[in-house]
Amino acid sequence: MSDRSISKNPGNASVRQFHEGSEFQPRKGGTVFLQRLSLLIVAMLLVSPLARGTLTLQTGTGIVIGGAHPNFTGTLGNVNGLGVGTPSAGVNVITTGVTGGVLYTTPYVLNMSGLPGGNSATVTAYVSTNFAHPAILNLYSCPINTSCTTFSSFTDLSTSPAAPTTVIPSPGVENNSSSTAYLGLFVANTNGASAFTGANSATITFVATRVSNGSTNDTVKLALNNETVQNAVQLLMATASGLAITTGSGTDFAMNFGNVNGLGIAPPAGLTVTSVAGGVVYATSYFLQPTFSSFTSTTGTLKAYVSTDFANDTVLQLDTATAIGGPFTAISKTSAAQTMLTSSAASGTNFTGYLGLFVSNVNGTGAFNGADSAILTYTLTVP
Amino acid sequence: MKLRIAILVTTLLLLSTQVFAGTTAANASTVSPTMKIGVTVQKAVQLTLTTGSQCTVSGGSGTDYQMTFGTVDALGISVPTCGSVYAPTTPGVTPAVYYSDYKLTPAFSGQSGATSGTVTAYVSTNFTNTAVLAVVQANAAPSSISSLTAMSITSATPTSVGTTLANGTAITRYVGVQVSVQNGASAFTGADSAVVTYTLTTP
Repeated sequence: MSDRSISKNPGNASVRQFHEGSEFQPRKGGTVFLQRLSLLIVAMLLVSPLARGTLTLQTGTGIVIGGAHPNFTGTLGNVNGLGVGTPSAGVNVITTGVTGGVLYTTPYVLNMSGLPGGNSATVTAYVSTNFAHPAILNLYSCPINTSCTTFSSFTDLSTSPAAPTTVIPSPGVENNSSSTAYLGLFVANTNGASAFTGANSATITFVATRVSNGSTNDTVKLALNNETVQNAVQLLMATASGLAITTGSGTDFAMNFGNVNGLGIAPPAGLTVTSVAGGVVYATSYFLQPTFSSFTSTTGTLKAYVSTDFANDTVLQLDTATAIGGPFTAISKTSAAQTMLTSSAASGTNFTGYLGLFVSNVNGTGAFNGADSAILTYTLTVP
Repeated sequence: MKLRIAILVTTLLLLSTQVFAGTTAANASTVSPTMKIGVTVQKAVQLTLTTGSQCTVSGGSGTDYQMTFGTVDALGISVPTCGSVYAPTTPGVTPAVYYSDYKLTPAFSGQSGATSGTVTAYVSTNFTNTAVLAVVQANAAPSSISSLTAMSITSATPTSVGTTLANGTAITRYVGVQVSVQNGASAFTGADSAVVTYTLTTP
């Protein structure tokens, strides 16, 4: 072996000369061994980082992933417990199947590179720094190769490094592969003393593991900065046991009393007729559905006023009542002095209202036959 | 400087990101959805018959109302079950009349052409035994048997029951059964009935 090494020494220069002036004088035969060992160590040092593999988080069709390996950043921006409003670019909201709030979701890309040929890697993740308000904000994960469109596709992202959540499951992904997973941010619709609004941050740690030997390939972090919880309100209307409430054209909702007359003859289905001075009142029940989130108050007020009155307001008038049979009082026609329906509207609880339509039995010049309409504006206010 | 202004504007926009919609609002404490109330008003008329001070007007079977005079005879001997009786002027020759008061209440709405109505009536289904029985009526309290006259049996020429009747105001009218004297082959005893049709009209 030493002969072969010496033979590769041009001009048979001394070992000292070959090593360019080193004071070390190895034994014959050990020189070549150390030569090769040095080359091997150098080669291993050069190749080792690549051989471990590198996990990079990248922007997909979701939020922008910033930063650089191994510290990445991102934010889902403004969120609320009702999922109302327009989410940030690349963010979707899942409301169905979510209890106590909503789930904001966004895709992101995991890129594995530098894996030796034939090797593959799995990725797990855990919340290494949780939100300061974990009851309001909670991170979820949906692994790769999954249709992450329903809440059931997501799992609560572990907060334990010892039992992390799988993002890329076995058999893993190969070198130079990009895979899309989804991140979920649950936002609770909590009201009352524990309600929270404002910015909060958390950090997720991703660990890539080589499948062949279980060694850790890479560890990177994703800082979710300034996830801003906003309060939100929503007021919907729905059919109770009376007239149908439908989607309006030019208004949010619509209700049609159909054919009515001042005598209350043959009322349409769903209407109750009560005779009053000067005519009759056709009445129906309906539901107001208030929901609100992140308020310290647990109740709100529901008010209404006639924002656009009937053209024939001497014949027709909108009333409210606390029971289907009345007594009926006219609904305010002034925005500044709206009619109070309830001052204790609870979030998520239907309020049953009774809407009356007074039809005068006037005859002569004041009489009116034909179609008419009015617009009611309902207001939910949470202090 | 331009950069600072741009940053300032951007910051202000970010700080004022209130999202308003009809039924929802984020970063807000109030939301105001709207609902359109549609209706079609129709004109209407209604004529109600109710009991006066004598015979009961009740809901009919096959008719809207009904009134029963009970047992009657041409001599006016039978005590009226309800109402009153006029004995014949000439017993055995002229008829007796059993009658009762009742109330008519016209109601109408959305009638742009008028503020009053008229009521007419006719016998739309006459007694089977018309030789013995006939419907009579009066628009005022009858002072004698002759005050109760035969009600028309023709829809084309009904009997006037009232004109310029006020909306919602009950009026008292009188209706009765005239029982004529018939013996021999034309004689009749037993139950019979007739149907009177009232019509309220607003001009």
